Amino acid sequence: MSESKFYETQWQETGKTFLDSSELVLNMGPQHPSTHGVLRVILKLDGEKVLGTDCVIGYLHRGVEKIAENRTYVQFNPYVDRMDYVAAVSNGLGYCEAVEKLLGVEAPDRANYIRVILTELNRLASHQVWLGTHALDIGALTPLFYCFRDREEILKIFEKYCGARLTTHAFRIGGCQYEIYEGFAKEVLDYCDFVLPKIDEYEELLTTNRIWVERTKGVGVLTGAECIALGATGPVLRGSGVKWDLRKAQPYAAYDKFEFDIPIGKNGDTYDRYLVRIQEMRQSVRILRQAASGIPEGPIIAKVPKVLRPPAGEVYHSIEAPKGELGYFIVSDGSTQPYRVRVRPPSFVNLQALDKMVRGWLVADVVAVIGTLDIVLGEVDR
Amino acid sequence: MSLAPLLRKIFLVDLLKGLKVTLKYQAPKEIVTEQYPLERPAIAERFRGQPRMNVNPETGEPLCIACGLCALACPEKLITVGSERNPETKKKELTAFSYDISRCMFCGLCEEACPSDALELSQDFEMATYSRDELLLNRERLEKGPEPTEYKR
Amino acid sequence: MDALTNYLHSSVTPGEAGDLLWATIYVILVVTAISLAVLSMNWLERKILAHIQIRYGPMRVGPHGLLQPFADAIKLLVKEDIIPEGADKLVFWLAPVAVVMTAFTTFLVVPFGRTHAVTDINIGILFMLGISSLSVLSIIMGGWASNSHYPLMGALRSSAQMVSYEVPMAMAIVCAILMSSLKTGTGTLSMIGIVESQAAQGRWFIFSFFPLGFLAFAIFAIAMIAETNRAPFDLPEAESELVAGFHTEYSGFRWSLFFLAEYAGMLAVSSIAVTMWLGGWLRPFSGTLNGKTWDLAFSFLPALTVFVLAGGCLLGALRMPKHPSFKIQTAGLAGFGLVLGAVGLVLLAPGVRERVQDMYWFAVKVAVFMYLYIWYRGTFPRYRFDQLMKIGWKVLLPLSLAVLILTALVGIRQELATALMGVLR
Repeated sequence: MSESKFYETQWQETGKTFLDSSELVLNMGPQHPSTHGVLRVILKLDGEKVLGTDCVIGYLHRGVEKIAENRTYVQFNPYVDRMDYVAAVSNGLGYCEAVEKLLGVEAPDRANYIRVILTELNRLASHQVWLGTHALDIGALTPLFYCFRDREEILKIFEKYCGARLTTHAFRIGGCQYEIYEGFAKEVLDYCDFVLPKIDEYEELLTTNRIWVERTKGVGVLTGAECIALGATGPVLRGSGVKWDLRKAQPYAAYDKFEFDIPIGKNGDTYDRYLVRIQEMRQSVRILRQAASGIPEGPIIAKVPKVLRPPAGEVYHSIEAPKGELGYFIVSDGSTQPYRVRVRPPSFVNLQALDKMVRGWLVADVVAVIGTLDIVLGEVDR
Repeated sequence: MSLAPLLRKIFLVDLLKGLKVTLKYQAPKEIVTEQYPLERPAIAERFRGQPRMNVNPETGEPLCIACGLCALACPEKLITVGSERNPETKKKELTAFSYDISRCMFCGLCEEACPSDALELSQDFEMATYSRDELLLNRERLEKGPEPTEYKR
Repeated sequence: MDALTNYLHSSVTPGEAGDLLWATIYVILVVTAISLAVLSMNWLERKILAHIQIRYGPMRVGPHGLLQPFADAIKLLVKEDIIPEGADKLVFWLAPVAVVMTAFTTFLVVPFGRTHAVTDINIGILFMLGISSLSVLSIIMGGWASNSHYPLMGALRSSAQMVSYEVPMAMAIVCAILMSSLKTGTGTLSMIGIVESQAAQGRWFIFSFFPLGFLAFAIFAIAMIAETNRAPFDLPEAESELVAGFHTEYSGFRWSLFFLAEYAGMLAVSSIAVTMWLGGWLRPFSGTLNGKTWDLAFSFLPALTVFVLAGGCLLGALRMPKHPSFKIQTAGLAGFGLVLGAVGLVLLAPGVRERVQDMYWFAVKVAVFMYLYIWYRGTFPRYRFDQLMKIGWKVLLPLSLAVLILTALVGIRQELATALMGVLR
């Protein structure tokens, strides 16, 4: 946690008070109802207009990457769930696939289908949390509860499958540990039928609502070129019109077997990102329907030695997590414990766009923009 | 603006749509809250809750063969297995076993590693205690298994 | 003794009759009623908002949370009284007192029935608008006295919002006053006079000159939400914004006074809306469905409403969980239901039936407005401050001016027509 340069402002040196200057330094502190975790944003304001921001992160730093250096590959698997704790299954998927790439094993087809089903359910759950909290920040109190009620069904499926609702530890290196339970495919298909009308309801509450449109249209604009320059990925990139989704560009885990569209936005503002995520939810339901109705038979885990000793080398593997490109860079030195695991968290890279998106706008828009970037501090700080 | 969107804007149609949705959900039958602790949630079988050591139901002997695989598998190194070798059968027998649930992340790796189904994560999630010492479970506590509190008042 | 009971047969309010004793009694009754209404609004808001959000709301403090407002009140009363360092002590003390006094003073002229008001000033509506404008001053006092820039910004925002929405409110009220002059020829600013002119015209003003009356009502309905700082115009006191509003530094009893004043303000503007456009204490269809039998049928409604509430309580008591720790709550709820039933029986008595009619209809209409307030809070997102001001000045003000001018023109259409004929001839 570094102190920001904004604190060296004129009145601390000259003895004037805040009423003398036209600029106000406001601390949207670590404890705040709208910063989605412990994020500290230091705002430089002129009245209500934002002149500049400075993010101070690290309040949730737990040293996950350092922990990885002292655990075996299998033992490190439960830790990755805790980074983006809202969408834990994707984290596990990225890590397992990265280690499989290092080892040179491929998960069997059945495992890949199970992985896709759980990851898409996970995407739905993550987007529901995003929608609820984003709407709450903008003032709509009820979509939060509707989203959490619908997400409850997904968490029940997770609980039945792998034993935990949030920190799922669903996958293992080489495939899946748990065989799908009786009625899994039927429950997933029932959930798809259950959730589509609910997504329509969220849209009815928000999409055409004039207050919502006024609060989000034109706010926090990021052009496609700026996104690419900053490295923003996920719905932030797609909302600005760039058609880039790792599930189509670099397919992994059976995504090449399914038909789905990539929704993109036009203007790169908050409203477009909202529409992109709603469409992504519908596309997830589409993928789920295709996957759940055709799970192939076969083994669920590949042949992997009990003591994993990958050959020395390095690998970078990234997946399309609900928040963006989640990447794992693993350096192995031939022993049972990785030499270095570096996680490329999507929220961390997307958060860098905050300053550009918010300059010149009002304080209320800072809250909306943080919501639209969909950051989870567990991922930003690791 | 063409006529239909203009009329929709004037007559606040979008706001009325939102009001209709929230009106529908005010019926009491839509409430999904579980009134805990009167209504307990239905827990899945694979739920990774409080650990438990299984004993043979007929003989009462522990199923644990003191192999120590669970302690090796644990990422947090919070299991300690104490054993002594039985001079007659030349097999290891379990003496002491401790499990620290204050550091446990309930990942289930120990459960997967156990070859004899001795260590199992049960469906109990109510593990709150009044002091830190009670979170260090020893063998007797683990063999007794989960003891959910009965609420009287 | 005679002097006391003399008033009971009069047909005017105690203030008009000059009866000081009964006026004082009415003042005490009104203050008690407002406080009880605020208390029940607290419970209703939490329950209804919770139901909109598909959850239960308070359920443990008393059966179905009915004792929650009392628990909150006791908690606020015994809380430590914190005054920020550097705060202006006198102004800090004065702000909540002033805001509560202005909120309660507006109720001096609110007519719950022909004789059920403290008094009837012949500039009644002007009095109410003026006193509620004074509350803006006390908000600024509260924000300033806190010696911290968050409350100051919040107070300035809040006062700017309230002042700018008073203009469309006043325009809309002028429309209603214009309509009160139609049949009788003389308009009146007195609250009772406006309701009586609605009775004389046989039509509530919301239906007059359709759609002008409705438009004026709609403008007032939107402006009154902004005036009372409620969703979707509640940016100054929103929790998820940086500035937590002018009452950040107030805790305990002082905060509860601000809270009381906010709800009393909501009740006051709802009362204005009900009196101006919805016929005050008049029952629906008083013009068309009149006659002895209709009057009799409508007079049973208060008792019926109370019986329905009592039935709901008893039903709730039957459906309480059968756990032993709920025995007291079940008994309490059943007792409450029986008390409500007794009240309903009292309301069936012939003498009481007629007297209660006015108050009942007034209360029902104000209750509908309160429900709308809570419903809007649960449904709509919040406007940003500049968008809020834009709506007030650029949308509502021109619209209210247009409605006012059109109402005036339509009101004098006959004179206009004859004047035009005279000019053309």
